[in-house]
Amino acid sequence: MKQQQTKKPFLNRLAMVLVLLSGLTVTSFAQVVISGKVTNQKDNTPIEGISIVIKGTRAGANTDNNGNFSISHKGNGVIILNTSGVGFKSQDITVDTKGTTKNINIVLVEQYSKLDEVVVTGTSAGTTKRQLGSYVSTVSADEISNGATSNVLAALQGKTAGAQISQNSGDPAGGVSVRLRGTSSVLSSSEPLYIVDGVIINNATNRVTNTSGNYDGTNFVGSIGQNRMVDINPADIDHIEVLNGAAAAAIYGSRANAGVIQIFTKKGKTGAPKVSFSSSYLNSSLRNKLEVNQSPTKFGGPTDGAGALTQDVIAAPLATTTTNVTRYDYQDYIFRNAAGTDNTISISGGTDKTKYYFGGSYFYNQGIINNTDFQRFSFRTNIDQTVNKWLSMNLGVSYTNSAANEKPDGQSFFSPTNSITIIGNFHNIWARDANGNLQAVGERGRVNPVSVMEDIKQKQATNRIITNFGVKLKPIKHLSIDYLMGVDNYSQSGTTYIPPFTYNASTAFYGGGATLDPTQNGYASAASNNFFQINHDLNANYNINITPDINSTTQVGFSQQYEKNNYILFQGRGFAPFIETVNGASTILPGVDDRSELSVSGTYVQQNFKYKNYLFLTGAIRNDGSSVFGANQRNQTYSKASVSYIVSSTDTWNNLAISKLIDLFKLRAAYGESGNLTGIGAYSRFNSYSSNSFLGRSALNSSATLANENVKPERQAETEFGVDLGAFNNRVGLTVNIYNKKVSDLLINRQLSPTNGFASVLDNFGSLENKGYEIMLSFVPIQNKNLKWELTTIYNHNENKALKIGQALTLLSTNAGAPVAIIEGQPLGVFYGTYFARKADGSLITNAAGIPQTAKGTQSSVLNPTETLDASGLPTGTVLRKVIGNPNPKYTGSILNELTYKKWSFRAQIDFVQGVDVFNADFRTRQGVGNGKVAEQEQKGLIPRGFVTGVYAIEEWRVDKGDYVKLRELSLSYNLGKVAFANNLSINFSGRNLISWDSYKGYDPEVNAAGQSTILRGIDFGSTPIPRSFSFGIKADF
Amino acid sequence: MKKIQYIIQTTFLLGVISLTSCKKDFVNPNAPTTDQVFSSARGLVGVNIGNQRTYSLGGASVIYSVVTTNAFATNEVILMNSGNTAEFQFSKGGTSVDATNTVLANAWTNANKVIFDANSVINAAAKINDKTYASGLIAHASILKALSLGSMSMLWEKVPDTIGVNVTFSDRMVGYAKAIAALDNAINAVKANPISATYTSDAVAGIDYLNTLYALKARYALFAGKNADALTAANLVDLTKKSTFNFDAVSTNPIFTTVTSTNNVYQAIDSTLGLPASLAPSASDGRIAFYTSINATINPRYRINGFYSSTTTGIPIYLPSEITLIKAEAYARTNDLTNALVELNKVVTKTAAVDPFKIGANLAASTASTQAALLTEIYKNRCIELYMSGLKIEDMRRFARPTTEMKRNFFPYPFKERDGNTNTPTDPSF
Repeated sequence: MKQQQTKKPFLNRLAMVLVLLSGLTVTSFAQVVISGKVTNQKDNTPIEGISIVIKGTRAGANTDNNGNFSISHKGNGVIILNTSGVGFKSQDITVDTKGTTKNINIVLVEQYSKLDEVVVTGTSAGTTKRQLGSYVSTVSADEISNGATSNVLAALQGKTAGAQISQNSGDPAGGVSVRLRGTSSVLSSSEPLYIVDGVIINNATNRVTNTSGNYDGTNFVGSIGQNRMVDINPADIDHIEVLNGAAAAAIYGSRANAGVIQIFTKKGKTGAPKVSFSSSYLNSSLRNKLEVNQSPTKFGGPTDGAGALTQDVIAAPLATTTTNVTRYDYQDYIFRNAAGTDNTISISGGTDKTKYYFGGSYFYNQGIINNTDFQRFSFRTNIDQTVNKWLSMNLGVSYTNSAANEKPDGQSFFSPTNSITIIGNFHNIWARDANGNLQAVGERGRVNPVSVMEDIKQKQATNRIITNFGVKLKPIKHLSIDYLMGVDNYSQSGTTYIPPFTYNASTAFYGGGATLDPTQNGYASAASNNFFQINHDLNANYNINITPDINSTTQVGFSQQYEKNNYILFQGRGFAPFIETVNGASTILPGVDDRSELSVSGTYVQQNFKYKNYLFLTGAIRNDGSSVFGANQRNQTYSKASVSYIVSSTDTWNNLAISKLIDLFKLRAAYGESGNLTGIGAYSRFNSYSSNSFLGRSALNSSATLANENVKPERQAETEFGVDLGAFNNRVGLTVNIYNKKVSDLLINRQLSPTNGFASVLDNFGSLENKGYEIMLSFVPIQNKNLKWELTTIYNHNENKALKIGQALTLLSTNAGAPVAIIEGQPLGVFYGTYFARKADGSLITNAAGIPQTAKGTQSSVLNPTETLDASGLPTGTVLRKVIGNPNPKYTGSILNELTYKKWSFRAQIDFVQGVDVFNADFRTRQGVGNGKVAEQEQKGLIPRGFVTGVYAIEEWRVDKGDYVKLRELSLSYNLGKVAFANNLSINFSGRNLISWDSYKGYDPEVNAAGQSTILRGIDFGSTPIPRSFSFGIKADF
Repeated sequence: MKKIQYIIQTTFLLGVISLTSCKKDFVNPNAPTTDQVFSSARGLVGVNIGNQRTYSLGGASVIYSVVTTNAFATNEVILMNSGNTAEFQFSKGGTSVDATNTVLANAWTNANKVIFDANSVINAAAKINDKTYASGLIAHASILKALSLGSMSMLWEKVPDTIGVNVTFSDRMVGYAKAIAALDNAINAVKANPISATYTSDAVAGIDYLNTLYALKARYALFAGKNADALTAANLVDLTKKSTFNFDAVSTNPIFTTVTSTNNVYQAIDSTLGLPASLAPSASDGRIAFYTSINATINPRYRINGFYSSTTTGIPIYLPSEITLIKAEAYARTNDLTNALVELNKVVTKTAAVDPFKIGANLAASTASTQAALLTEIYKNRCIELYMSGLKIEDMRRFARPTTEMKRNFFPYPFKERDGNTNTPTDPSF
C-alpha cells in the first residue's frame, strides 16, 4: 500500500494531463473520504459489523462498535454504496462524491424475511439469500446465547426449520443428535457435516470410557457418550448457517449427504478495543421424579441374605406368600440439585488492515447425577490481516481442554439410573457390615447403586486444537482466489475404574461372583483416541457483468481432506483394593489398537447468472474421490442446479396494486446431488480376518459380514421448491419449503442366511426417501417505539421411508431388547414385534385369570399377520408380529415469542414433537423387579397375580407414546445500558426444559440410550434424564 | 511486474500445498485379507484357533447355545429371569419357542460359520508341504466342523447340504453322515502323517486330536444308528486321555460367565437332574454332587456345578465314560447283553479317583438282564453321567422317551435363515 500511496501524486498528475489532453469536462480525480454512521431504525442505536462497499469496486469498510465507518475513494461522480449485514435489510445509497469528504448517515431496517442476508454456503465470495434457489437458515449469536445451555447443538433446538435436534442424554456433556430433513443413511452417521470457519470438524463419539464390551454384552448398542461438538464454545460463535438439503449442500458434494451446519466465529472489527465479559450461574435439577412402588409387602421371602427372593413379581414359580418390606426411593440418592458457572471474556478490535478477536472461557457444570460434572476451557484467536490491495490473510486458532467426571453410561445395568431400575426398592442399599463393606442387593449379583455412585470412577479429558489459515488474492479485476487450510486435531483419553466388590456382584458386571474371584473382581481401563484432520480448499471466483443486466459469476475449486484416527484401549480385571491402574490387574483383558487413514478429494465448477436483481440461475458440477471405496467406484460426479425468481423485484410486479401490501415474493427451485464418501469405515470394503488373543495364541476370525470390494458410495438426489413471502412492511413473513430427497445405492449391512458362511452382507442394496415440508411463519403484531412483539413459528413434517432394503425385513438385536427393524415401505428403525390380542372394539383380550394375551395366528408375510382365536376366544397359532412403534416423529416444530419493552426483553420458546414412539425398556424392568407402579398393583391385589409375567414378553407393552410439548426456553433480560465504566450492561435470567407436557411413563420421552446412533432411536434404557436448568447471568461491554 | 510475480508464486505455492498427499490407497494395518491369511500355514492355524473361539467362547458360542437349548428342552434346568427372552421361550417350550429365538439363531449362525472356515482350512491344508503340519490343521478343523454339523443335526430336523447361496436341506441323518465323513477324512490324514509336535504347540492346548476324532465318530455313528461303526470307533479311543476346550481368566468358560456366576439366567433344576422319579439318581450317586452344588442360604438351593463351575474350567469335548456308555449301548442294541452290562457297570461302579475328569457314581453294579432293562439303565446313566453336556435331546429320541418329558423336540429354523433362503424347510410343530 505504501508503494501505492507514494504513486498517487504521480497518478493524479498523469490523470490531469490525460484529462487536459482529451479535453473532457471531468475536472478532478480527487480522493474523497466517505464516512458516516449506521443506526438501527428501531431505536436509533448504532449497528456494528455492517459491511459497506462501493458498488463495482473492491473498496469498502465495516462499521465499528459505534456504528461508524470510513471509506477512501478515488474518483468522482456518483457512486452507490451497498450495505449488508446479518439481520438488516440491504440498502443501496447513491452518493455524489463531489468534494473531499462526505458524511452519510445510514438508517437500516431490521429484516424479517432475511432475504438479503449474506450467506457463505461454501462459496468463497459469499452470496445473498436473494440468489439462492435452496433454503439456508441463519441463526445469530443472540439466538443461541440465552438458552441456558453451553452446548451449541442443544442451543440450536427449535431454531432452524427442517432440523430435528434431540438431546440423547442428560449428562452435563451428553450427546446431541441432529437430523436435517430426516435420516439419510442406515449404515453411517446421519449427522450433518460440521464446518467451523472452513475447517471440517470431527463430531465423532469415541468410547474412551464405558470401554469394555462387557458393559453391554458386546451387543449392538449404538454410539453412546459425548460427541465432540461439545468442544465448541458457543460464546465464540458469531452465527450459524444450516444447509438442510443436498440442493444447498451440493457444493460440499462428497460428504454433505445429511446436510451441512456451518459455524462462523466472531471476528474483530475496526475500532477501539472492545472488551466483552459475561458471567452466569447455572442450576440444574431433575424435572420429573418417577413415582415408585409403595406396596407394604412383596411376594415370597426376604429381600436380602438367606433365602432372599428378588424379582418377586415375576420369579417362577409365582410365590403367593408375602413378606412385609420397607420401601425406599433411591432417586433422592442418585440425583441432586446441580450447580455450574459459565464465564467468558473477549477482546476485539482492529485497524483498517489488522483485525483481531481474542476469546476465552471457562465453563463448569455439575450433572444432576451425583459426582458427575463437565468442565471446558477454551481459547480462540482470530486475526485478519490485509497485506495490500490484492492480498489478505486470516488466521484462526482455537484450543479447548475439556474434562468430565462420569458414571457408567446407559445401555448397561450399572449406569446410575439403571442400577436403581434393575432392583426392587426394598433393599437398604446403604447398609454396611462391621468392616464398612457394602452388602449385596438380593441374590442375583446386581451392583449396589451405592457402589456405582461412590466407588466407580470414570473420567475423560480432551485436548483439541482447531486451526484455520486463509489467503485471499485479488490479482486482477473480476477475479479472486482464495485458499484455506484447516486442521482439526484432538486427543481424547479416558479412564475407568470399578473397584473390587466386597459382595456378590455378577462377573458380567465386573464383580467376582459369589466367591469374590480375585481374577475377575474389579475393572480398570485406559483408552485414548487421537484424531488428526487436515483440509485444503482452493477456490477461484470470476465475476463480470456481461451486459448491464446480466452478471456472471464463475467459480472453480479444489478440495482435499485427509484423516487419521488411532484408538488404543488397555484394560484388565481382578484387582487388589486401591489400585486404579491397569498394571495391577490380575487378568489383562484383550486390548484394542485400531488405526485408520482416509482421504477425500474433489474439484468443482459452478456457474451463476444473474439477470437484473430478480432472476438467478446457478449450475454446478463436481467430481469427488474417496479412499474408502475401491478404485473403480472411487470417483463420483455430482451436479446441481437452482433458480431463484424474485417476483417482487420485477417492474411488472411493482406496477400491481398488490405490491403495496406484499414486499417480497420469491419463488425458488433447486435440484442437487450429494454423496456419502465417508459412509463406510476406512477399510470396510475388504474381506479380512480380525485377530484376537485366545488362550495365549493369536486367533484369526473371518468377519461376520461379507464385504464387496466394489461397493459404491451412497448417492442422494434432492429436489426442493420454495416460496418466500413478506407482507405489511415485512411484518409478516412466510417461507415454505417442499422437498423430496431420495438416497439410492443405500448401503445396508443386511442379514444373510447363515448358510452362506456369513451372517450379513454389506452392499448397495437399498434406497430410501425423505419427503416433507417446512413452514416458517414470522409475525410482528406490535412494533412501536417502546414495545415490539415478534412471533415465529416453525413447523416441520418429514416422512421417512425405506424403499428397498434387499429383503423384506432386517431385524437388529439390541441390548435394551428393542426390536428395531428396517422394513421395506416403512420408516427406518421402526419397532417390530409381538403385540396384544385385541377385540374388535380395541379392548384387550384376556384369559380367564384376566391376563392380556399376545396375538397369535398366521404370519403370511412381514406386515401381514392374521389373528386367529380358538373356541374359548383366546389367541391360537404362532406368535404374530407387526410394526408396533415408530421412533421417527410425524412432525416437529417450535413457537417462539419475543417481546421487547424498552430495556426489557423476554422470549419464550415452545418445542413440540408429535407422532413418535419410544421403546421404554426401563418401564418393563421396573415392573419385573418390582419397583414400578404396575408391580405395586399386583402386590396389592388390584390386578391379577401373574399379570406382569403374563404380559412381560409382549413387546408392545414396552412401546410408549413419545409425543411432547416442551417449554424449551424462557429468558428475561434487562439492558441497563451504560453503567459506570461499562458501555453496555445487561442482566439475564433464563430457563431450559422447564415444563414438558407428555403422557410418557418414564422420565422424559426425549431420550436415546443408544446415543448418537443412526438407526437405534427412541430407546429408553438407563440413560440420564435431561435436566431442567436455570441460569442467571450478566453481560457487559467495556 | 513484481505484483504479478508474487501472485504467480503464491498461487503456485498454494497449488502445491493442496495437491500433496492425495494418496488414496491405504493398507489396513488392523486385519489381514483373506488371501493373505490362506497363503501360510501360520495363517491357517490362526483360523483354526479363531474357529475354536467362535465355537466355544462367549454367550453366542455354539457350546453355549447347544447346552442351553438342550438343558431347557430336556428339563435339566429352571429359568431364573423372564427378562432373558430366548431362555424364557425355552422354559415355556412348545410353540412359545419361535424363529426369533436368539440362542437358536446363534447356534445356527456360528455352526455355519465354523463349517465355512473349517472347509477353507481343510482345502488350503492340502497345499501345505509339511504333511505332518497339514494333518494337524485338518484334524483340528474337522473336529470343529463335525461338532457343528452334529449340533445342527441334533436340534433341527433338516440340515443344510453345504455352505453357499440358497442352499438345499437334507434329513439330519445326512448331517451325521457328513460329520462322520469329515472325521474319517481327518483320521486318514493323521494316520498317513501323524500330527507334528509343532502343530500341537502352535495351536491352543487341550485337544487330544486323534482320540477326539475316534470319540466323535463313535458318538455320531451311534446317533445315526450305526452301532457296529460306533463300537469300532469307540474301541479305538484311549480312555485315559482327556480332550477339552480350555478357558482362562481372559477367555472364560461361557456357561459359567453368563449363567453360573450371574445366577440370573438359569440354574440346575434339583438333585433329580431333571429325570422323572422312576429314573432319578439315587441319593448316594456321587455324580449329583459333581454336577450340582448346594447354596443353603441364597436362592435357589441347587446350583450349576460340574464343567461350568469357574471361569477357567475346561469343557470336555467328550467324556471317556461317554465312550464306555456308547460301547454299552452298541452292545445292547446288537443284543450282546453280557458285554453291554460289563460296559454299563464300568460307569455305574466307577469312583471319582479313577476317572480322568473325577466323575464317579460309585454305586453298586447293575443287574439288569433284559435288553429293555439294560437300555433304560444306559439311558438313565447317560442322563446323569453326561448332565448338561448338550446331548440329552438326542438320547431322548433314541430311547423313545415320551414327549411329555421334553419341552420341545425339534426347533424352528431361525428367521435369519428363512428370510434369505427359499429352501428353508417348514418348521416342525413340536
